[in-house]
Amino acid sequence: MNNPTHIEIAVMSDVTKIYNGGRYWVPALKNVSFRARKGEMVLILGPSGSGKTTFLTLLAGLQKPSRGDVYLFGKNINSCTAGELQTIRAKRIGFIFQSFYLIDSLNVLENVTLVMKFAGLHREVSKSRAISYLKRFGVEPFAKSSPRFLSQGEKQRVAVARALACEAPLIIADEPTGSLATGQGMEIVRFIHESVKSENRCAVITSHDERISRFADRVIRLRDGELYRP
Amino acid sequence: MYALKIILGQPVRFILTIGGIALCIMLMLFLMSIYKGVADGSLEYIRASNADLWVLQQHANNILRSTSILTDNKKQHIKKLPGVESVSSVLFILATLELPEGPATVYLTGFDPETGIGGPPELDQGSHLRDHDQIIIDRSFAQKHHIHVGDRLPVKKDTLTVAGISNGTNMFVLQYAFISLEKAYSLIGFPNIASCYQVKATPGTDPRELAERIRTEVEGLNVFDDPSFLENNIREMESGLLPLLFTVAVIGAVVLVAILSLILSIQVLERRNEFAILKAIGSPPSFIPSVVLKQALIYSGCGMILALILFFPMLRLVEMVSPEVAASSSLIQILAVSAGVGMISLLSSILPNHRLRRIYPLEVFMK
Repeated sequence: MNNPTHIEIAVMSDVTKIYNGGRYWVPALKNVSFRARKGEMVLILGPSGSGKTTFLTLLAGLQKPSRGDVYLFGKNINSCTAGELQTIRAKRIGFIFQSFYLIDSLNVLENVTLVMKFAGLHREVSKSRAISYLKRFGVEPFAKSSPRFLSQGEKQRVAVARALACEAPLIIADEPTGSLATGQGMEIVRFIHESVKSENRCAVITSHDERISRFADRVIRLRDGELYRP
Repeated sequence: MYALKIILGQPVRFILTIGGIALCIMLMLFLMSIYKGVADGSLEYIRASNADLWVLQQHANNILRSTSILTDNKKQHIKKLPGVESVSSVLFILATLELPEGPATVYLTGFDPETGIGGPPELDQGSHLRDHDQIIIDRSFAQKHHIHVGDRLPVKKDTLTVAGISNGTNMFVLQYAFISLEKAYSLIGFPNIASCYQVKATPGTDPRELAERIRTEVEGLNVFDDPSFLENNIREMESGLLPLLFTVAVIGAVVLVAILSLILSIQVLERRNEFAILKAIGSPPSFIPSVVLKQALIYSGCGMILALILFFPMLRLVEMVSPEVAASSSLIQILAVSAGVGMISLLSSILPNHRLRRIYPLEVFMK
């Protein structure tokens, strides 16, 4: 695979990831190649244990491949320091998790502004931007509330606001609909899709929910750590 | 803000923790106050003296914990030396007073009431000695035993009237009491002896040169200028007191470190997932350790404030219950304890921060 071009946000080139399982070596991903571009939403489908999470964490620079290369915004993560990868995550990647992972001791607004603080944004800019994103997703009235008082759907909307508020070019979503009712789940995916299209971002979403595929520009299937075409 | 919100999320734990911290800080403040009180009480007598030189028997170098007996012929010899203006005898006797509630020991100090040299540094109540049947006692001794000016005290074979009550004469384990030199001689049955001489030099005489002259001319003496003698007594006081206070203070500090480390470690463990999320979404490497450090500072800062609020009433209470407990505090002590507590906060965040290193951002994806 060639080196990434300027519109390519993330590239995996012949990536293998093997975990040390004590007595055994466990291959989680095998020779996977992948490109994610601006303006597209990629859905990674696969059952549990297929390697989806390993795929996402490599793409987020949270771990390095055993073999092959992962490029994030043109940088090979194999040659990046932990500090460089942290900066990439803070400034250029927005995360959405299945269990939302909001911080209960902070209020909704602070949950959103904290990420922008990591990205180095000024407090006032962070606050006004966070409020506008909370408004956009209909959760601005809860800005001063603790996330623990929100419904599941509201929590995930806040999580989406947190992921998008930094205006990160890459959105990584790990089973974002997994804890939500169908209607709420589709609404969240629609929010992500709108953001990808209107703001020219890239979203990589893992799920085992086939219904999301209607929003995706591309669907990639993983089974036993390998990409496959049905 | 985040650090504070984490702490305030558990109000009961917060209150109990700062209570424990405050107690440790109060212990440290109390020990420092005891040290200062004892130092003041033990040394004020020497500090307040106008003597240029202190003369003791050979091998004795302080009045707190050494025996010195000087005979009158030495005094007469010193008096004749050029540069000597006056030589005043002071005799220290450990004496037990038979009080109604039981025996009580004082550091009986015989001095010449006419010159006042060797007498109490400061009078709180009453007057100086006017005759040989009078005594001046320490304020805390008087409070403890409910003795007032005009009361009569049995001292050995005599009964003396309390003429005055002195300040700066409480050595914590023992208090000074002052009588005339004549009365001291009569109480012990040996006239014309002394524990030390306080020597005044004539104007223009260098005390160090005079000290050297006395050492050369009169055998069997130790002669000190005032600053050296004070230093000797400070060293003696510290050698008896500091190891004890230091040990208890170290125990207090260790308990404080343990409380803080434990609480912070528990909070790190409880928030393992939260911290892993923060690491995953790009928190800078210093962010979470700084949260832990801020928590340590908030806990210890609140503990310090609570300790200061409670400390002074507690000191009053201790003084009321045990007047002989000489405690004296100063701003410098409080600042020193604050700095120490700051250091302890830093130290306490080491273990929890070490635990933070074992929290991996990947954990949030593995659940």
